[in-house]
Amino acid sequence: MAWFTDRHFFLLAVICYGLSTIYAVFLWRKGFRRDDWVNYFLIVAGVALHTLAMTKRGLTLHSCPVNNLYEATTFLLWALGLACLIYSLLPRFKFLCAFTAPVLFTVGVFALMPSLDPPHGPKPDFSNWLRSLHAATILQAYGAFGLAAVAAAMFLMQHHDLKFHKLRALLSFLPSIQRLELITLRLALVGFALFSLGLVTGQQLPRPEGKPYFCDPKVIWSALLWLVYLEMLVARLFLGRSNRRFTLGIILAFVFLLLTFGITNFYSGLHHP
Amino acid sequence: MNSVVIIGLSHRSAPVALRERFAFASDKIPAALQTLRDTGIAAEAAILSTCNRVEIYAATTLAPDAAFVELKKFLVAQHAFDGALDDELYTLAEPHSLHHLFKVAAGLDSMVIGETEIFGQLKDAYELAFTHQFTGARLNKAFQRAFNVAKHLRTETNIQRGSVSVMSAAVELAEKIFTSLAEHEVLVIGAGETSEKTARALLSRGARGVVVTNRSPERATALAAELGGRAVPFAQWPDEFVQIDIAVSSTAARHHLLDRATLEPLMRRRRNRPLLLIDLAVPRDIDPAVNALDNVYLYNVDDLQGIANEYLSLRKEEAARCETIIAGKVAALLAANRFAPKSPAADV
Repeated sequence: MAWFTDRHFFLLAVICYGLSTIYAVFLWRKGFRRDDWVNYFLIVAGVALHTLAMTKRGLTLHSCPVNNLYEATTFLLWALGLACLIYSLLPRFKFLCAFTAPVLFTVGVFALMPSLDPPHGPKPDFSNWLRSLHAATILQAYGAFGLAAVAAAMFLMQHHDLKFHKLRALLSFLPSIQRLELITLRLALVGFALFSLGLVTGQQLPRPEGKPYFCDPKVIWSALLWLVYLEMLVARLFLGRSNRRFTLGIILAFVFLLLTFGITNFYSGLHHP
Repeated sequence: MNSVVIIGLSHRSAPVALRERFAFASDKIPAALQTLRDTGIAAEAAILSTCNRVEIYAATTLAPDAAFVELKKFLVAQHAFDGALDDELYTLAEPHSLHHLFKVAAGLDSMVIGETEIFGQLKDAYELAFTHQFTGARLNKAFQRAFNVAKHLRTETNIQRGSVSVMSAAVELAEKIFTSLAEHEVLVIGAGETSEKTARALLSRGARGVVVTNRSPERATALAAELGGRAVPFAQWPDEFVQIDIAVSSTAARHHLLDRATLEPLMRRRRNRPLLLIDLAVPRDIDPAVNALDNVYLYNVDDLQGIANEYLSLRKEEAARCETIIAGKVAALLAANRFAPKSPAADV
């Protein structure tokens, strides 16, 4: 079984996410009226295989597996999948899996590209505990932001159906829009707290000579992202921004994160020496 | 061997004038059942008498055709009816009688398909007969199975899903917007009957309280007292929008009482909390343009009726599925020892 690497386990996990995505399409076409566990167990299978893949890689490296873009992306997806499984246990939140599966599948397929996973040198970059903490908190924050975006998508769908008097709003087994918005807000707050902690720990890390912290593209990008989330949270909590604009912002911010995460990582001298 | 037969009339076969003529008062039912037994028409019997149907369920050793003649004579004599009866009265023998009993229990034969009230009424009718020992093995098994099948259909199909009235549709909408109605107050604009019923439906589902306003302050005060809420002068109802989250409007005003220009600043004062507006008035009290505002969900009487109608058509679609399930359950019951198939049923 030596030929069966951690990437194979991850490939199987992505297949489970893909099956869940296909099933999610059926659920969507049926108006989220079948409150069954099929989707949930597909994600459970995916996350289990995903965990095996990460454990195998982590044991090989003797550290948290976040040394390249493949590992960072799989860690982000794992945090997203796990959070989805936990939140799906809330009443009427089982369909969260149906909304999360497409994100897990598409980003999972992206992560499987061989160029994202170059061979490691003899000394992994993230051997220091502070570095592991930095990477883990940042990636868990991305996971929370991702799940917030998924809950926000559920909110916008329900909001649209209620606004335009679609019967699907009543027939679907989705939570109330007030509850969806609250979950979105809480996840964004959790993500923001983890992100802030990750940035603070990152600032404490030793840097290679001649590589200034505040000129690094990833640091600038992270600071920008931090400000974007701060603005959205302050506007929602203290300035009475509408639920629709807040949830739309949460989705757009996560899409921006997904689209630019790889690029900034690639050009970052601190993260991609 | 006894077989189960039914004779009756319902909203499908007879007008209300005839149904009320044949209705049994519940205190008269034991005596009527005793007569059925004493005359040898039925060994076991139960009588269901509601506003929509009067039916006698009997287990008899008579051949179905003979039983129907006797049961018809019994019904006519009991109510001293001297008019003519044609298709108003229907008769059913096995297996159709059992199929009908199962359908009645599941609400499939009701005026509003899938309604649950009939289940309780049928249970009461059976318990009355059972308590007075007018039922035996045959009817007990048939009724118990009918109740089980009704429960099965309720959980396994969508036959009872959804709101089929304007009031219940409004409540369901509120529950799709707000997590719990216990934290939300309802404003009733115009103390009419429809808005009162809607407010009552919302209160019954746990709404925190109700505020009533009406052009006639006396009527507002009276309704507020009845609903356990408070009344506010008609000129001051816009101020209440800061507190309340659901507004039900049904006035006789000829123009819009609430338009976008009025609501926009109020929504800012509400810090954009969701607001459900239910406009039951014709002509409408609320300008449809307010639905374009963020966090405002406006439904008028046509929208709610549309929801109720769609639910009703969904129930009708589901009824076909229920019929198939019932056919299977009846066949299983007939295949059981005490319900071996008899001669072909005679439906009249």
